[in-house]
Amino acid sequence: MKVSGGHQNGMGTNPFYFYTSSNLVELTGEKANTLEELVALLKRCTGSAIFYHVFQSYRERHFAIEKYHSDFAQWISNSQDEEVLAERLGSLDVRDFVTLRALRESMIQIIEDHLKAYPQCGKRIGKTPFFFCQSVSVVMPTRDRAGGLEDFYQLIGKIGIRSIHYHLVEARLRLGIHTNDFSHWLGDSLKKERLAQRIEGIDMYLHTLEEIRTMILRYIEEEMNPSCHPPI
Amino acid sequence: MSSTHLMDYEPIVGHQTLEELYLLAEGLKGKRVKMVNSTAIGGGVAEILHQLVPLLDELGIQIQWEVIKGGEDFFIVTKSIHNALHGEAAPLTQRMKEIFLEVSQENIKNTDLDQDIIVIHDPQPIVFIEAKDRTHAKWVWRCHIDVSHPVEEAWNFLKGYVEQFDAALFSSPRFSKRLPIPQFLFFPSIDPLSDKNRELEPEFIDQVLDRFQLPRDKPMITQISRFDRLKDPVGVIKAYRMAKHYTDCRLVLAGGGASDDPESELVLNEVRTEAKQDPDIHIIVLPPTSSLDINALQRASTIILQKSIREGFGLTVSEALWKKKPVIGSAVGGIPAQIIPNLTGSLIYSTEGAAYQIRYLLSHPEAAKKLGEYGHEYVKEEFLITRKIRRYLLLFHILFHPGERIIPL
Repeated sequence: MKVSGGHQNGMGTNPFYFYTSSNLVELTGEKANTLEELVALLKRCTGSAIFYHVFQSYRERHFAIEKYHSDFAQWISNSQDEEVLAERLGSLDVRDFVTLRALRESMIQIIEDHLKAYPQCGKRIGKTPFFFCQSVSVVMPTRDRAGGLEDFYQLIGKIGIRSIHYHLVEARLRLGIHTNDFSHWLGDSLKKERLAQRIEGIDMYLHTLEEIRTMILRYIEEEMNPSCHPPI
Repeated sequence: MSSTHLMDYEPIVGHQTLEELYLLAEGLKGKRVKMVNSTAIGGGVAEILHQLVPLLDELGIQIQWEVIKGGEDFFIVTKSIHNALHGEAAPLTQRMKEIFLEVSQENIKNTDLDQDIIVIHDPQPIVFIEAKDRTHAKWVWRCHIDVSHPVEEAWNFLKGYVEQFDAALFSSPRFSKRLPIPQFLFFPSIDPLSDKNRELEPEFIDQVLDRFQLPRDKPMITQISRFDRLKDPVGVIKAYRMAKHYTDCRLVLAGGGASDDPESELVLNEVRTEAKQDPDIHIIVLPPTSSLDINALQRASTIILQKSIREGFGLTVSEALWKKKPVIGSAVGGIPAQIIPNLTGSLIYSTEGAAYQIRYLLSHPEAAKKLGEYGHEYVKEEFLITRKIRRYLLLFHILFHPGERIIPL
């Protein structure tokens, strides 16, 4: 599946092909009522479940910044009232992981360390259970492709939220690269390293997807017209 | 059938959302899909299919809707099964099972099953799965009810059928069971263009308030539910009274009529007794076709309550959120799926909790406004009919790619 790259045009630039994804949430039938049950299920649940609860489900609430992007941290905060643990889990940054295994191991370690320190909270039944879900994604090419930075700018302004999420977030684990599709193409095909780094540096969990779109557009404007937009 | 078209939803959900539906549908054009349920009129499933079928047809799916036939004895049996799946003690004798199977077999004989996908809605047509080997179709069981705590005998009777499907769909993780087949989450949906949810002129809302003699002099707290103990209308009055010590407000309890339900009449009397002729408590009995009145009452309200003791999905919550109203709801049934605490509404666990949230939201109108706005966005994302269409299109793709986690088109 091509993400960036494609036919070389006369300028020697690979176009950026925009994709979008939709997912259907699958119920695994597993649920955790306590922290001990949660960590037991974290050890044996599928990688898809981890991916869904950490990377995908918050997309459904993309219009607001919640306290935590991770469903696990949200549940531990809302249902278990274990705020210290929620904060530790919630601060895990997707950019620090290129495999789901590494992310799973980190989460398990954090929870087990907490349970060692506070064993009494392990068996406390939460206000609501945590239902483990996973998803099946259908990825579709859109009709949009950008040949250069100007095209890219126009299309970023109009593509759907799911497309932004797909290229910024889902790309990381799909491609096994420590960046995102946009930055990868900007740096690799257009040699816009500074722009690529600025986009990669966006703190995704502190902005809604629409805010992120606005930030990307601003960064591109500053790149295209540096005299009119002194960098912040 | 509904007369709305997909393009009618573009001003609400945006061009990109519709564009993605067209993209998803491209690879499914010409696929033959049959929906099978037990009634074309009355009930939530029929209402859903009336909206859904024409829109899927518009996307190029060759869709048919089949309604099974049965006499009174068959529907008595299916009602009993329905109640038992909800956990109520309901008889299911050997003779009842025989009637269920006989009528089902008769329906199977008279149904064209040469389809690509067959979606069976709820238990009534579930025996159709016995015809699975006669077709190449993929079979889906769409369960619209909560089967998490059924009477075991009823569940054991149906389980063997459910496990033969290629997939099952549930409205909430809470409603599902452990099954050896894939299960997908299909939230119910509202139609933003229906009488229950569309925008209303302020003058019309005023007319409705005048008709029900509802002054606009103070904040209005409203619960819209049939008069049923499981909706806890007496508890709502108690919460209102606790809140009213601190902040003046008016309470509206509006619900379905009681003419054909003896228990409803009893509950209505209990509510009137509890109201103790408080001039700020308004008890309104609505006839079945009151969609516009419900819409107007919700839009005129300051806060919407759904203080149920037990609940199915509770789609009235989404209706209220769609209208940007702050909603206080019990953490039961499907309500927690719609109310994300402190983001799209307030989840409560007690009468005192409801009272506190009423006080808080009335004294923090900006916070209440934010909850309503986020609630509206969340409904737009998850609980509109366009989302349901997307889910069905995804499901159809997934059925043709079993076992795959990422399906490239």
